Amino acid sequence: MADKRSQVSAKIKITIIVVVLSVAVVLGVKSLKAFVKGSVQANISARVKGDKKAPVHITEFIDFECPACAEGARHIKKFMTEHPPTVYLELKYFPLSSHRYGLLSAQYAECAGRQGKFWPFHDYLIERQANWKRLAHAAPAFEQIAQDVDMNLEILSQCLKDTSVTESIQKDRQEGDTLGIKSTPTYYINGKMVVGAASLGTELNKYVQEAGH
Amino acid sequence: MCRRQGINIYPFLRILTGLLFMTSGFEKVISPHQNFLYVIQSYAFLNPLLEEMAAHLLPWCEFFIGIFLVLGLWLNRSLLGLAFLLVMFLEAVAQAILRHLPIEECGCFGGLMSFPLPSVLVFDTALFILTGLMYYKIEKTQRFSLDQYLFKNEAP
Repeated sequence: MADKRSQVSAKIKITIIVVVLSVAVVLGVKSLKAFVKGSVQANISARVKGDKKAPVHITEFIDFECPACAEGARHIKKFMTEHPPTVYLELKYFPLSSHRYGLLSAQYAECAGRQGKFWPFHDYLIERQANWKRLAHAAPAFEQIAQDVDMNLEILSQCLKDTSVTESIQKDRQEGDTLGIKSTPTYYINGKMVVGAASLGTELNKYVQEAGH
Repeated sequence: MCRRQGINIYPFLRILTGLLFMTSGFEKVISPHQNFLYVIQSYAFLNPLLEEMAAHLLPWCEFFIGIFLVLGLWLNRSLLGLAFLLVMFLEAVAQAILRHLPIEECGCFGGLMSFPLPSVLVFDTALFILTGLMYYKIEKTQRFSLDQYLFKNEAP
C-alpha cells in the first residue's frame, strides 16, 4: 500500500517536471521568435491609402487569388468609405504557393503600382477574382484589367520581365513569414495581428464602438 | 513446447502517434494564436467565445497529449484524451464537408502540412480506430513507457 502511494507520488513528480520543462521550452522558443521577428516594416508609397495620421493603421498581407482576401478587401473599402478619415491602409503581398495565380497577380499589381495605378488595378482584381481564378491562363484577364485602368501595356510588358518586381514581392512574403503569418488575409491593426475577414470585421466594429463613431 | 512471440507494434504506434500530436501542437503553440483561430473560424461550428477559447487551449492539449503518449505517462487518460480530441476533429471536418464549406485545406497541422478535408476524415478515422486498439491492448501499448517503469509489479 505504502509502496503504491510512493509510486503514485513519483509519477506526479515526473508529470510536474515534464509539464514545467515543456512549458519552459515553448516559452523559450516563443521569446526567441519574438526577438527575431521584429515589427511590420513601412511600405512603399504606391501601396498605401488614406491619411498617415489616421487613428487606425491597417497593414494587409494579401494573396489576390484568395476568396477571403477579396471579402476582407471589400470590407475595408466599405469601412473607409463610411469612415473616411479613420483608416490608413498599407498593402503587402503574400502569394500562397497553393494558388496558381497568386504570384502572377501580385506581379501585375506591382507593375500597376509602378505606373501609379495600383489601387484601381487592385479593385478590379478583387472584383473579378471569381472569373480569372478559374481560367486556364489568367494573364490575358490581367492585361484586360491593365487596359481598363489605362495602363501603358508596353511598359507593363517590360516591367513583368524586371526581376526587381518579383524581388519586391518576395521581400513582403519573407517579412510575412518572419512575422509568423500562415494564411491570408492577415492584418495588423495598430500593430495587433488579426487573421481572416471575420476577425477583421469584429476588430473594426470594436474600434467604431470604442471611438463612438 | 515453445510459442513464437509476435512483434509488439503497439509501443511504436503509440510513440508515432504521440510524436505527430506533439509536433502539431508545438507548431501551433509557438505560432501566433490568431492563425489557429482563423482555422477554427473557417469550420463555422462554434460561437466566437468558444472559438477564441479553443484557439488558445486546443494546441496545448495536443502538445501535452503527444508528450504523454511518447513518454507513456498516464497512458489510459492520454489515450482517452486523444480519442476525445479525434471525435471533436471528426465532427468538425464531417460537418464542414456536409455543409460544403469553402475550406481548401484542413489547417490541422499548423503550418507543417495540410490536407484536403476528405483525406483528413479518413486519416482521423484511422487514428481513432488505432487509439481504440491501443486502449484495448493497453498492456502491450505500455511497453517502453514510464507507466510501466514506475509500476513494475502493479497495474497503474
